[in-house]
Amino acid sequence: MKSPQRFLSENASGQAFNRRSFLGGTSLGASAIASNMTILNMLKSPALAEELKRQEKRVILLWLAGGPSQLETWDPKPGRPTGGPFRSIQTCLPGVQISELLPAMSQRLQNTAIIRSLNTKIADHGGGATLMHLGRRDEPNVKYPDLGAVIARELGRANSTVPDYVTFYTATEGRSNALGQAGFLGARYMPMFLTTDSKPENLSRRETISDVDHRDRAELQKLLSERFGRGRANATLASHNEAYSRVRGLMASEELFNIEQEPQAVRDKYGPSLFGQQALVARRLIEAGTPFVKVSRAWWDSHGQNFETHLELVAELDHVMSTLLDDLEERGLLEHTLVITLGEFGRTPSINPSLGRDHFASAWSTSLTGCGIKGGSVYGATDEDGNTVKDGEIGAAELFATIYKALGINPHKDYFVGSRPLPLTDPGTETVAEVLA
Amino acid sequence: MPSDPSKLKIVKELNRSDILFSLARLPATNQLFVGSSDFAIHSLDPMTEGKESKQFTGHQSYVAGLTLAGDQLISGAYDGRLGWWDVETQQSIRMIDAHDKWIRGVEISPDDQFISTVSDDMVCRVWNAQTSEMVHELRGHAPQTPTRFPSMLFCSAFSPDGQLLATADKVGHVVIWDVQTGSELATLDAPGMYTWDPKQRIHSIGGIRSLAFTPDSKRIACGGIGQIGNVDHLDALARIEIFDWQTGERTHELAGDTHKGLVERLVFDPEGNWLFATGGDHGGFIKFIDLEKNEIIKQDKAPMHVHDVAINEQHDTIYAAGHGKVIVWELKPDETTG
Repeated sequence: MKSPQRFLSENASGQAFNRRSFLGGTSLGASAIASNMTILNMLKSPALAEELKRQEKRVILLWLAGGPSQLETWDPKPGRPTGGPFRSIQTCLPGVQISELLPAMSQRLQNTAIIRSLNTKIADHGGGATLMHLGRRDEPNVKYPDLGAVIARELGRANSTVPDYVTFYTATEGRSNALGQAGFLGARYMPMFLTTDSKPENLSRRETISDVDHRDRAELQKLLSERFGRGRANATLASHNEAYSRVRGLMASEELFNIEQEPQAVRDKYGPSLFGQQALVARRLIEAGTPFVKVSRAWWDSHGQNFETHLELVAELDHVMSTLLDDLEERGLLEHTLVITLGEFGRTPSINPSLGRDHFASAWSTSLTGCGIKGGSVYGATDEDGNTVKDGEIGAAELFATIYKALGINPHKDYFVGSRPLPLTDPGTETVAEVLA
Repeated sequence: MPSDPSKLKIVKELNRSDILFSLARLPATNQLFVGSSDFAIHSLDPMTEGKESKQFTGHQSYVAGLTLAGDQLISGAYDGRLGWWDVETQQSIRMIDAHDKWIRGVEISPDDQFISTVSDDMVCRVWNAQTSEMVHELRGHAPQTPTRFPSMLFCSAFSPDGQLLATADKVGHVVIWDVQTGSELATLDAPGMYTWDPKQRIHSIGGIRSLAFTPDSKRIACGGIGQIGNVDHLDALARIEIFDWQTGERTHELAGDTHKGLVERLVFDPEGNWLFATGGDHGGFIKFIDLEKNEIIKQDKAPMHVHDVAINEQHDTIYAAGHGKVIVWELKPDETTG
């Protein structure tokens, strides 16, 4: 029988094993595991080998807050009344064209799947952002974890010295829509949320506190919490304590946020923009083992002067995304890293009198690159003017199920809150097999 | 009989399904040529219910600039190409790759000798209007904004005496050029026309969208939009600044208190009685300003965001093209209306 409080994973044959007690108990990366013959023997188990393989997987979410236009990115309609002034350009994939604003990405689609058939129905910023963070609608009596929290839970290591879930969101507009939500997984999986810079504030130990004092304070906090928790079966308290237990590890990760540690040539490639710098930090974190990093670029809400806004923002996206993909590939990381571009919705095909495009959730696009993805694929299609999905319509649930599947996470697994099973994706949700490797 | 802006009224309004970015008028007629979001140039007479007689095709993006040079129509488009067309036959005379990026506007000198083109490649080129030979290549605008995003070169204007050419860009930088030599004579800045939001939304909007010299060529009027709080929208008052281009002194700063949006076009009355400005946000506006009194003579909503205008020889009829409409305004004194 499953122990609801311990969130047991389940392998394909139904054998239950506690992944975190296994990995967490060893507190090891792959090299340390290799030195332990007992562990090596355990790797003969296909389920455990798969589990370790999954551990290497990472996610970088490029969160395009405010809603970028699919017509000015992945699904252009040149020459149509809705198409706007931009041309489409031929990509490295035969027969596939994207907006001319993405020239660098047009030659790097061999590892990317473009999905052109999202119909997510919610076209307000708050509701759309919630949906595209959770992969489902929130419920009044259940707080679901967002994508980052799930990935941190599934792919993070218990005793990791790096944060499991990091979010950059520097602009102020829309930030409250994109706050991390660990939901029933608990505070342990809340993100490190960076808002003012590319470096976390207050991560360093204060000079007025010695290292010994700092350790002693942690021990005292632990002692008091344990005493307080005796006889109290409280998931919130447990989650709180678990988060505290990771403080020193997180403090040790401060240098990961320092891009001055990178060669100047690498920094130059990413460029001077904040988005570029944060993408570089994301790569450093991924490389060090952080399973989920969200780099937010706000604000794409181009109700006025859509084309000029996209001249600025898509040019930046093209540069940053192509540089990031090149860097990940050169380091051998792209195979294990899924890079997602996503916003809360797309933009209307119709062009308003301010030469803007408004909110539109009925037929829009996203991209998935790298880990677990069938590169060079295009899934779904919209009609000639981009008003409706004509082929392969999916919603947020299918997209999230596909993301989980690409990462080796069973999208149909259950979590338990008390005795209530809560499926990772809504029952009946199917993955998009066409974009999975 | 002088025109009377206080009598402004719409006498014709034609609905269209496209967005019209540019307009040229055949002299002494109601025959208009409009540059469209459907990449074509359409010929129509708004006074005969807009029945189209001709269509000129060949551009591959929005047609943002149109002007007439004798019996040739010259067009510039976001495809970077500049086209010469025979007005009668609608045949293309020539089409040249004029710029690397969007052509934002095409203007003609008062003597019809030169045309100027401005583009997001941040170059203004002056061409022989008849032969298409390039006369000057004017580089005075930075390719990037201070925050390293692509800048845009929105507009140019010849002075009434034909000696000067002004160009203006997204960050509010204006350059005055000598048309004969191509040399830079002066620079001005109207930074209030450009909004960079470094905190809430981290992108920019605005820029100088229109230019016009005063009838004596001594001052230059710049049109755009004021500082915007929410750069998602054209959410600021339409703004006009006028400079003595030789001293750099800003002589007028006009934002009004009513109409929001971009000033897309500025036109001076040749007698110097008024300046009119038109443009818009989701809606449109037109306003007439008495510069001596520094006050608005007349202002009104336009039924659409206006992108371009032409005015007749008597300066009492304005033809306007914009978002989904062509309209005709008259500003005739009562006894001549009709």
